[in-house]
This record gives sequence, C-alpha cells and structure tokens, in this order.
Amino acid sequence: MIDWQILGSVIADAIGAAIAAIGFAVISNPPRRAILYAALLAAVGHSIRFVLLKYAGLDLASASFVAAFSIGMLSLAAGYRIFCPATVLYIPALLPMIPGMYAYRTVFSLIRFLQSSGNDNEAIHYLLEIFKNGITTASVLFSLGVGATIPIFIFYKRAFSMTRAANRPKRQA
Amino acid sequence: MASGVHTSRIVRNTARIAESFGFEAHMTLFHKTISMTLRSKDNAHVYSTVSTAKSGAINFEFNSELSALSWEAYDNHLPLDTLWEKFHAITSKPRMNPWAVWILVGFANASFCRLFNGDWIAVAAVFVATLVGFRIKQILHFNHYFVFTISAFVASLIASITMWQHWGTTPDIAIGASVLYLIPGVPLINGIIDIIEGHVLAGTARLINALLLIVCIAFGMGITLLMMGGKLL
Repeated sequence: MIDWQILGSVIADAIGAAIAAIGFAVISNPPRRAILYAALLAAVGHSIRFVLLKYAGLDLASASFVAAFSIGMLSLAAGYRIFCPATVLYIPALLPMIPGMYAYRTVFSLIRFLQSSGNDNEAIHYLLEIFKNGITTASVLFSLGVGATIPIFIFYKRAFSMTRAANRPKRQA
Repeated sequence: MASGVHTSRIVRNTARIAESFGFEAHMTLFHKTISMTLRSKDNAHVYSTVSTAKSGAINFEFNSELSALSWEAYDNHLPLDTLWEKFHAITSKPRMNPWAVWILVGFANASFCRLFNGDWIAVAAVFVATLVGFRIKQILHFNHYFVFTISAFVASLIASITMWQHWGTTPDIAIGASVLYLIPGVPLINGIIDIIEGHVLAGTARLINALLLIVCIAFGMGITLLMMGGKLL
C-alpha cells in the first residue's frame, strides 16, 4: 500500500529541487538542451536525499553522498545521450543540495558570538552552533563533490569522450 | 578557466587538439596564468608560451561545445583556420536573455526557501528579495566582492521585513534563503573536483576565491542582522 502523504512530500520536494536547479543552471548559461536534464537530475537526486534523510535515518552528509553519487551516474548516461560533458549536467543538479542554510547559520552564530561579550553561557552556546553548522556545511560540500566525481573515475575513458562525435555510430569508446 | 570548467578538462582538451597537429602539449594552469609548452613528436621543435587567463562569467555552453570541438579536431584533423572559425562561432554565441535568467533565479531561490520548510509568506519574501538583489548584481559591474556584499545586503534587508513586521512563522528561513542565489556553487564543486584530480593548487585557488565571495555574502547579511539588532532572536 502506497502512503500518499509520503509520496506527495517526495514529489513536492522533487519539483522544488527541479525549479531551483533550472534557475541556478541558467546563471551559468548552459546549452539549452542540458537545462531540462539538469532539472530532472536535481529532482531525482534531491528526492533520494529527502527519502534517505526522512525515512532511512541517515545523516545529512551520507545522504548527500548517496544522492550526489546517483546524480553523477545518471549524468554520465544523460550526457552521453545529449552530447554534453557530465559536469555541465551535474553541477546545476548539485546546486540545490548546497548546504546554504547551514552556511547561513554558521555566519549568524558567529555574529551572535561576537556580540555575546561578558556572557559566557551564551558565548559557549554560539560557539557550539558555529562548530555544528560549520562542520555540517564543510562535510556536506565535500561529500557532494566527491560523490558526484566518483562515477567519472569509474568510467574514466567514457566520461571524457562523451562529446566525441566519432563515437556515436559505434556506440562505445 | 573562468567559464566554469575544471582544470583537467582544459589540459586534456588542449592536449587533444595539439595531438591532432602532431604535437605534444604540456601545460601548467594557475588561476591567472597559463604556461604551455608544445613539442613536436620528433623533438625538433619546441614552443613555449605564458599567457594570462581571462576572467569572465561562467559559461557552460562554451564548456561543452569547446570540448566537442576538441574531439572533432582530434578525429577529423581540422586545419587551423577551420578550427579558429568554429571557435569564434562558439564564443560569439549570445548568452541567455538576462531578464529570463532574472525571473528564473527568482523562482529558483523561492523554491529553495520552500525546500527548507519556509512558509508561503517566507517564499514570497524570498522571491521579491532575490529579484531585487539579483538585478543589482546584474547591473553593477565594478569590484566583484563589493557587488556581492551589496547584493547580499539588499536581499537580506528585504527579506528581514518579514521579521520586522512579524509576518509568517519562519522569517529566519526567509532571511537565510534570500542570499543563497549568490553562493558560488560552481567554483566550490570545481575546486573539489580539481583537488581530487591532482590539480591541488588550482583547486585551492578556486576554493579560496569562493570562500572570499561567501565571506562577502556573510558580511552583507551581517550588516542587515546588525541593523535589525536584538529583534532577530
């Protein structure tokens, strides 16, 4: 039996991620044909992370790693289809997962920490916040980058000849 | 370098073109300079050059089309003039309509806010804040860092109206999300890819660059937070 509420929240998450990916993709002026695929990848990746976070109890960094890995894999397949380097597809797809909120909270607590002179309890609280959010930001960023790059190392030859026209008829590098 | 491609792709594509002319290319890439040595296969001719890497906006279309061009040169042994012709045809393509980008970024950042569980009032505030902030970034063309600071400041100021007026239940998310369109995601990810692939210096340079921009965003947002003062907690 499908739980409609879960399904609905996953779909809402996917749509949000897709819109975000389109918007952030167009800043970097990609080829038109790549935009749709980037949005699709972002939707898949972000909903994978959403499900892992919510229902599998994974932490943010590991969930991001799995999501980034699947985006990397799919971007290889999609890039081959539409004649684009994989990076052009997966970087916009990763952007909605950049831990901006944690980066913001790090800065925010830093400012509060600077203002909390004379009150040690408050200072310690904000110090903890700085480290918690800062470490989350750094580790998620790192796992996004590494996770998306691993598929490229696995299929090294193929990943770098994707834009090669001569490959088309033979279907294999 | 500036169009948002990672270092090893530049090295590979250049070497590929060189090989189609019967040369070996070896290059060192830094953030601002490229030094390259070409050597013919029989070691009879060696040419070296050092040039400055132009800075410019990120452009994924160049990234993919030029990569395709390098394969075409490698496979079909294109003569140099044809290569230049195709190169200029690619690099003179116009960018996307800035107004279309503008609207799409607004929607993107608004849906970003939604992903962080902001309520609809926060989403609307982020939408407006992003439109204004991004327009500022598009119009101003002086120092990069300064533009980022101003843009972050204005966007977060507009979003903080929700907090000031007590609209909605999640004004903190609105303020946090309002500056996210500025986060330099492409250099961050490219920097990590570069480091993994062994171009540690170039990767670190990219990361530091991105970090400086983030500090600017934080500074711009910090001005807003200081202005709003104690109301924020």
